[in-house]
Amino acid sequence: MNFYLPIAELSVNIFVFLGMGAAVGFLSGMFGVGGGFLMTPLLIFSGIPSAVAVGTEAAQIVASSVSGAIAQYRRRNVDVKLGVVLLVGGILGSIIGVEVVKILRRIGQFDLVISLAYVTFLGAIGTLMMIESLNTIRKSRAGHVASRRSGQHSWIHGLPLKMRFNRSKLYISAIPPFVIGAFVGFLAALMGVGGGFIMIPAMIYLLRVPTNVVVGTSLFQIVFVTAMTTVLHATQNYTVDIVLALLLMTGGVIGAQFGAVAGEKLKGEQLRFLLAALVLMVCLRLAWDLVVEPSELYSISSLTGGH
Amino acid sequence: MGWIQAAVSTVAVLVLGIATPVAHAALEGTVATEQLEVDVSSRSVAVTSGFNGTELVVFGSVANSRQDSPESGYYDVVIVVEGVMSPVVVRRKSSVGGLWINTASIRFGSLPSYYAIASTRPIDEIADADARNLHRIGFSHVPMQVASRGFSSGLSQSELMAFQESVVRLKRKDGLYVSEDYSVAFIGRSLFRAAIGLPANIPVGPVTARVYLFRSGEMLSMADVRVALTRQGLDRYLHTMSKSQPLLYGLLCVALAVGAGMLGSTLFRKASH
Repeated sequence: MNFYLPIAELSVNIFVFLGMGAAVGFLSGMFGVGGGFLMTPLLIFSGIPSAVAVGTEAAQIVASSVSGAIAQYRRRNVDVKLGVVLLVGGILGSIIGVEVVKILRRIGQFDLVISLAYVTFLGAIGTLMMIESLNTIRKSRAGHVASRRSGQHSWIHGLPLKMRFNRSKLYISAIPPFVIGAFVGFLAALMGVGGGFIMIPAMIYLLRVPTNVVVGTSLFQIVFVTAMTTVLHATQNYTVDIVLALLLMTGGVIGAQFGAVAGEKLKGEQLRFLLAALVLMVCLRLAWDLVVEPSELYSISSLTGGH
Repeated sequence: MGWIQAAVSTVAVLVLGIATPVAHAALEGTVATEQLEVDVSSRSVAVTSGFNGTELVVFGSVANSRQDSPESGYYDVVIVVEGVMSPVVVRRKSSVGGLWINTASIRFGSLPSYYAIASTRPIDEIADADARNLHRIGFSHVPMQVASRGFSSGLSQSELMAFQESVVRLKRKDGLYVSEDYSVAFIGRSLFRAAIGLPANIPVGPVTARVYLFRSGEMLSMADVRVALTRQGLDRYLHTMSKSQPLLYGLLCVALAVGAGMLGSTLFRKASH
């Protein structure tokens, strides 16, 4: 059954995109990740213009993280004050990111930049996760228990504008969370991701936020930043396809439920190993397209970008 | 005899109110020339959410046809269907430090977004290059004016031609530039028809069908007919809203996303209890 996408201006088979939404939803439910970093490349591989893929995926991430954010909030796992600081940075980053997308589209380099960004981030994160999960698997076989380092004082504690974040039991400068939020917001707008894969490690290792509030606070920020990014892409680039978003959301919401059940049957390090393998595969595919001589050197676009 | 013929023709004009050239020719006492009369199966095509391409039948008749049978091959008919004119940016990749990057680009101010040719036989047998160029018949005669050049301004003539050829190649690959020889068929001495497939990815806008009548390389008559290809229904509503009220459209997308996320979790929470 075909459906005409009003913004992408393509007639697509709805079952392909429902299925894609369900598959990525399944994986994100299983691994507890947003899935944007898998969905955006998949959309591009399937012929959706990359700018439409990024804009539409922002809307889909709102759908996939909103219920999680509310559940975390109810369980009092959200540090609202820290979340707001991250969010203010995130909105600034998102505004800059959407503007950068607009400029890159106009000069015809958006596809290149998005590929490079994905290769870089997926490559780095996939490799780190792969090493970490292999180490954990090896250690657990040897009978060791991983120990966590206690909080250390670092250069971050020397910065001004200190604020007290009660729920996180932190008294730190507002600058690092603002900068982290801005960076994640920028990536969200540029790459069509939620940015949890940057946000969560940064909160744990740089800000030393207690693990019980990390996920909730990160989701809180992601919902608002991706909502903002959706609106900005819609107003600045006209690249949010509501029909495509709805297909992906429908598939995603259903897939995530089954993924969560499947995820409970696997160990954390095994899950991370599988996710790392998947991330590296997507990374290699994108890298391949960048370095191998394309069969067609020319491309045409009617979207000149910007107004 | 002449006055009888003239009287009959005048009556014909008065009665039918059409085909004045027929009458004129007769009135002037010369041999009646061929005249094309054409129409399409549908003057308006709606692009709705279910739009999956459509078939447009272009048909017409040759007034004062002098051919004996449809198979005689006395006349040649060429039908050119052009979609909305729009600017196009063409980019060329080259290897920079091991990566394939867009390094050159040309912007063509306006070229047909869709271009289909149907003819009674191959167009180069019907008319010479000058005639084809004059009437914009054939992929190599599609107008492509360079509007601006990006990145590298010093493109040679041969490189420019490579860009123009790439447009045709890519458009053909997308099914937007199509040609079919022998697809126009005469049904009677004067009646002919051709079916032209408008693909699902055709850009929305006015579509023009130009019909040419040739005889031994000479263009005898030309007629055109326009088809309005417009968005309708939900698709029109969403597309218009996204352009004219982008803020509201963006907020609608977010509201839909929040709704879908909440609805999904509520449904599944109930199901698992």
